[in-house]
Amino acid sequence: MKARYDLRTMLKPKSVAIIGASRNPDKVGHIILQNYLSAGYSGKLYPINPNADEILGLRAYKSVLDIKRDSIDLAVVAIPAELTPQALNDCGKAGIRNVVVVSGGFAEVGNGALQDKLKDICDKYGIAMIGPNCLGLMDTRSRIDTLFLPSYKISRPFIGRVSFVSQSGAVGSTILDIISSEGIGLSKFISYGNAVCVDEVDILEYLMADDETDVIVMYIEGIKRGKEFVEVARKLGKKKPVVILKAGRTDAGVTAAHSHTAALAGNYATQEAIFRQFGFTVAKDLDELLDYAKIFASDPEPKGNRVSIITNGGGTGVLTTDAVASSRSLVLSQLANETRAALAKTMPALVNVTNPLDLAGDADAKRYGDALTAVSADENTDILIVIALFQTPGADSKVAAELVHQKGDMDKPMVVISVGSDYTGLHKKILESGGVPVYESPSAAAKALEALFEYGRFRDRKP
Amino acid sequence: MLEYAQAKKVLDEYGIRSVESAYVGAADEAVAFSDGDRIVLKLISDKAVHKTKEGLVKLDLKGEDEISAAFRYLEDRGRKLRPYKILAQKMAESGVEIIIGGNTDAQFGRMLLIGLGGIYVETFKDVELRLCPITKADAKNMLESLRSGKVITHGGASTKMVANLLFSVSKLLIEHEEISELDLNPVIVREGSYDVVDIRMIK
Repeated sequence: MKARYDLRTMLKPKSVAIIGASRNPDKVGHIILQNYLSAGYSGKLYPINPNADEILGLRAYKSVLDIKRDSIDLAVVAIPAELTPQALNDCGKAGIRNVVVVSGGFAEVGNGALQDKLKDICDKYGIAMIGPNCLGLMDTRSRIDTLFLPSYKISRPFIGRVSFVSQSGAVGSTILDIISSEGIGLSKFISYGNAVCVDEVDILEYLMADDETDVIVMYIEGIKRGKEFVEVARKLGKKKPVVILKAGRTDAGVTAAHSHTAALAGNYATQEAIFRQFGFTVAKDLDELLDYAKIFASDPEPKGNRVSIITNGGGTGVLTTDAVASSRSLVLSQLANETRAALAKTMPALVNVTNPLDLAGDADAKRYGDALTAVSADENTDILIVIALFQTPGADSKVAAELVHQKGDMDKPMVVISVGSDYTGLHKKILESGGVPVYESPSAAAKALEALFEYGRFRDRKP
Repeated sequence: MLEYAQAKKVLDEYGIRSVESAYVGAADEAVAFSDGDRIVLKLISDKAVHKTKEGLVKLDLKGEDEISAAFRYLEDRGRKLRPYKILAQKMAESGVEIIIGGNTDAQFGRMLLIGLGGIYVETFKDVELRLCPITKADAKNMLESLRSGKVITHGGASTKMVANLLFSVSKLLIEHEEISELDLNPVIVREGSYDVVDIRMIK
């Protein structure tokens, strides 16, 4: 399938025109321009505003048609809906082939006719349009940022290898705000709104080939082109992990059907089945979406399903043991004799060398380090769950630093379970910015590890 | 809906085994069909969707008297369900009842379904769906993913048999565009063999 649009140029533009850029700090066009400047975008910026000569220190133009000396790779349109067709037409005449329309006021409010006009103009000039009614694009490497959210209101994520696709702008901005605090580094953010031209199929196709993207996280409300979606999903699932949250899970609109099969194969069930068939990890809510995104972003594929648990709290160790044992695909490991011998040498007498390995409440960085060194080398262990309760006397920032250090040396997946408030939160940050995924409950950790294991199994499966 | 005999023929094309069956027009035809074996008599009518619930299936019939009495009973019930036919089938050996089905999704196309069948299917809704065509690995994975997977087969030859059956049904659904919905319910699965007992094929 040949790509319909050139999304690469859209995300890596050398020059950007911002139509609707304004001197008024309350206007969307002002925020977008300001964000480009704040992000340190290194390409050329052209504010477009018929009533200004200069905005934020940049020369402003009355129309994109007035920019004679440069070709524009991307135009961002942030003006009222009724003025958008004219602006889009100007873009077409000026030879601009990539446009993001962030403005709302189209089909989502019943104004389908105006939306059709945009579509006609795009078709006429061969414009790839994202939107309307969307947040648009962010690329942490090219530093483009069409989001009209003031930077003080939303944390901008750091550079990473997870790309996030959201049909909805609201869900998109929420997740964008959270992922930086969850330690998930971002490659690209694409919010595509009404999907008049560029839709989820185009975006997935692009991200599948994008070598700055290792993990795709997706929130969708509907799929426009079913057959094409399947065609891309079939290839994509084998290539990169995809975590997907599809709204409309409880759609009760399944009408009376003729057969049992039709009644059982409702709309959501069908889509979920297709996602799973192609190896996508299906999240049921935003929490799960982030939990899964986090593990795919930071952990390697496990070689097997045997889990070893290291803890500084007995009770949490037992709860985690339960979560692992009741999971569909994970099992508890039996530590090998050599590992047990190594642990017997380094652990104090009160530590019972077994799985879960309870390091006791006074466990400090050294004890964690010794335990992790032995267990990560254990031949019967494929996955490590480390419980670090920072309320205990022994646990402090040195423990967090030791866990980060150990994780860096490890070729097995490792997650941390840490539950608590402010002091814990601080250490959670240290861990996550060091690439260690942290979960707040044993069940969330087990579910995420199960997803990681299942994806690996899917990827290795012969057809 | 495709008539039973026609539907059975479609299954035959793919080597999908269904129980021996014939329409019978009179009690003595049913007795002759039995030929000493235990049989089932079913009243088939578009007006009767849930045959079992409505008492239109007479199971485990043997000998002239029992078969004739059951035939006459169904004939009597049939008066209100015209047009109808009475289908005689050899009684399948007992086993685990499953459902295998096909459906057409307007957006994605042919979907294949498997679940623990018979009376359980609506209650537990333990079903797995896949988009057709499926691979052999998909077929195996469908069985593994069912909560009741281990109730249906215990791995080894039986798992392979049901996986092959799923693969054949997927092929049928892809190649027979005219069939929009399909229920094989129940399919009775035993160690090493299976029988499709009832077929609904909707054009």
